[in-house]
Amino acid sequence: MRATSIHRWLAALATLLLVSSTMLPTEALAQQPRPGGELTFVVSAEPPSYDGHRETSFAHIHPVAPHYSTLLRIDVANNYKIVGDLAESWTISPDGKTYTFKLRDGVTFHNGDKLTSADVKASLERIVNPPPGVVSARKASYQAIDRIEAPDPLTVVVRLKWPEASMLANLASPWNYIYNAKKLAEDPRFPEKNILGTGPFIFVEHVPGSHWVAKKNPNYFMKGLPYLDGYRAVFIRSASAAVAAVRSGQALIEFRGFSPAQRDDLVRALGDKIRVQESPWTCVLTIVFNNEKPPFNDVRVRRALSMAIDRWQGSQVLSKIAIVKEVGGVLRPGSEYAATESELVEYPGFGKDIEKARAEARRLLKEAGQENLKFVFKNRDTQMPYEPVGIFLIDQWRRIGVTAEHRPQETAQFQGDLRNGNYEVSMDFACDFMDEPDLQLFKYLSADKSPANYARYNDPVLDELYVKQARATNEAERRKLVREFEKRVLEQAYQVPTIWWQRIVPHWDKVKGWEVSSSHYLNQDLRDVWLSE
Amino acid sequence: MHRYIIRRVLLMIPTLFGVAVLIFLLMRVVPGDIVALRYTADGGSVSAETLAAERARLGLDKSIPAQFVDWMGGLLRGDLGQSMWTGRPISYEIAIRFQVSLQVAIMATLFAILLSIPLGTLAALKQDTWVDYAIRIFSIAGLATPSFWLGIIMILGLLIVFQWLPPMATVSFFRDPWANLSQLIWPALAVGYRYSAVATRMTRATVLEVLREDYVRTARAKGLWERVIVVRHAMRNALLPVVTIIGLEFAFLIGGLVVTEQVFNLNGIGRLMVESIIRRDYTMTQALVLLTATVFIVVNFAVDLLYAWLDPRIRYR
Repeated sequence: MRATSIHRWLAALATLLLVSSTMLPTEALAQQPRPGGELTFVVSAEPPSYDGHRETSFAHIHPVAPHYSTLLRIDVANNYKIVGDLAESWTISPDGKTYTFKLRDGVTFHNGDKLTSADVKASLERIVNPPPGVVSARKASYQAIDRIEAPDPLTVVVRLKWPEASMLANLASPWNYIYNAKKLAEDPRFPEKNILGTGPFIFVEHVPGSHWVAKKNPNYFMKGLPYLDGYRAVFIRSASAAVAAVRSGQALIEFRGFSPAQRDDLVRALGDKIRVQESPWTCVLTIVFNNEKPPFNDVRVRRALSMAIDRWQGSQVLSKIAIVKEVGGVLRPGSEYAATESELVEYPGFGKDIEKARAEARRLLKEAGQENLKFVFKNRDTQMPYEPVGIFLIDQWRRIGVTAEHRPQETAQFQGDLRNGNYEVSMDFACDFMDEPDLQLFKYLSADKSPANYARYNDPVLDELYVKQARATNEAERRKLVREFEKRVLEQAYQVPTIWWQRIVPHWDKVKGWEVSSSHYLNQDLRDVWLSE
Repeated sequence: MHRYIIRRVLLMIPTLFGVAVLIFLLMRVVPGDIVALRYTADGGSVSAETLAAERARLGLDKSIPAQFVDWMGGLLRGDLGQSMWTGRPISYEIAIRFQVSLQVAIMATLFAILLSIPLGTLAALKQDTWVDYAIRIFSIAGLATPSFWLGIIMILGLLIVFQWLPPMATVSFFRDPWANLSQLIWPALAVGYRYSAVATRMTRATVLEVLREDYVRTARAKGLWERVIVVRHAMRNALLPVVTIIGLEFAFLIGGLVVTEQVFNLNGIGRLMVESIIRRDYTMTQALVLLTATVFIVVNFAVDLLYAWLDPRIRYR
């Protein structure tokens, strides 16, 4: 009896060992990147030009970024750490004003030209001081740069006028493609219509309105990468057609993301063939008050309208139907410098006792003589998430006796009215490639300093706080200054955030090596992506 | 006849000039700015100076008459200019889309002709029988069904039943005929159904009318075969209004399939037109409107010439 029991145990152990010995390598093998295959993905718009320095849309980044390298990159898989791309290493001088980058040796452009520091210098200078006829969309982020030097073929030195906390992040911007200096010297606008980079994929074909094709760069400087033989970006404007394309397997992923309903449709149809990745998104819709137009030049009115909004309940309700989820201040909730929940609830409009907040809002309106306030709320006619958030806001204002007429407008007209101050209250939008106070707070600077501020106010206090936090070298000090900035913005309520976006990316499970990030501009070089089937 | 043709060609010039002036002015009246849209709509923070420089580069800082003269000068040289949005030559952008729209229009027209003329004639010949009723139900359903809705049903049907979708990216017929046809046959059918319904109704009505004409009665009295009467005598006359309908529908299909193109993700002229208007791409929109107007004028002209061929009584001077 005892012997039988021992035999049973031994048999069970042997079976377990056998099973585990056969299972482990298979599982390990299953996670081993598999080279080959072509990834087809959807892009819901199309790049106007091929020049990353000029463009601002994800529609550019998704098909074009895999052709290029940048000096630095943001490693999404490694907690958004800034790592080298073309830079092998770098040092920062003790005064924080000199950045010295050592470049990788042996990197070549797709035409065979060797990459040197001259290419990096020419590309960065094109961003910082664009020549006539060239648009640098993010020039304002590099005002601290004094000069760029290339003392030897593998060294680049960036000298700043003042130390700036966000400089490394800005240099890691996914838009900062490194171009070929020789081509730029011949024609500064060469990158607008030509693709010539050092990235993991070589350009094959772009049929405007239809698709974009690329093939693997066999001479890519990261040995063994990329895994894919190529990719094909298909331009599909209609959201339902995009969902159908993914559902049919014609496309495996749409990197920007889908709505909750579209996610649920795909999960229902494809079951375990689909994997859903979600992430808080560094994008937010803001309510912009026209600070030049009465009664919105009265802080009591603006604050009352912000306080009427139950962001916490809105987050729960809207996240079921729209791509919004987290409640936050001027920085994405959960990001390094963002307010904690306990800090957040202290700001007007962010407390959890909505009845108390609305009572205060009514009192402020009464005090300002605006108990029966009526205004037109201009919104962009883009369905997701502008429409549901707009409707939600109007309902919230109704609860304090305010009547807002919802007026969705076609994008061009909406943008024109916003820029020209032809509005009373309007929706606005902010979206950045990473969580960095310099990027997110820029929108709230005085209108004469920030072209992204459409609320038409100037506030020297905010401007001063912005400069102080940007130049702060101590993390705790910077955090304190960011809080002060945020507190002033939300108390003055010149323009206030609504609910932060939530990125939802359902994709075929066979797409591996791609992790969703808080920005749809990041992690799009596709070099680590592979297909398991 | 030759004088007529020359006169018609010459008449096209003031017509197209009128269209050009109208669309040029209309685009300037519509609020919105392509430069601001391009650099700020996605959250960009481009300075006012940069936007002004870009407007100047595109010639938008000039007076409206100066912009018009520039554009007309280009047109007279045969240069449609560049898209303000993409910077690519307009002729290149249009050529890519035009071949798709033209192919869908041709396929839909063939489908409509092959279906409508036999069905319409049959319905007329079998008037008030179950055949006539069945054809009338078929054609009325076609008139009542929007093409885009039928397209959506087709897409869903293919997806749910066959787990398959027509290719979403454009493939040239000469590169891969099978992929090309498997993409375009569906929109052609969706559009062609409504198109054939219109033409079937028209064919039935005109054949019925012609069959009551004196010359048909005379032909019958002479003892001609019914088939000869219908095909040689009645059909030729009955087809005149049908040709007009087919011509107009064909011209419409070149630029008017906006929603159907969205449903099937077709890279056609209609979608390009809508995108250009949304983006305030003035040069592209102007060129597309001119193209559409030209197509309508040319197709109408071709229909008029076809009249003369179909009915020898018609003579143009």
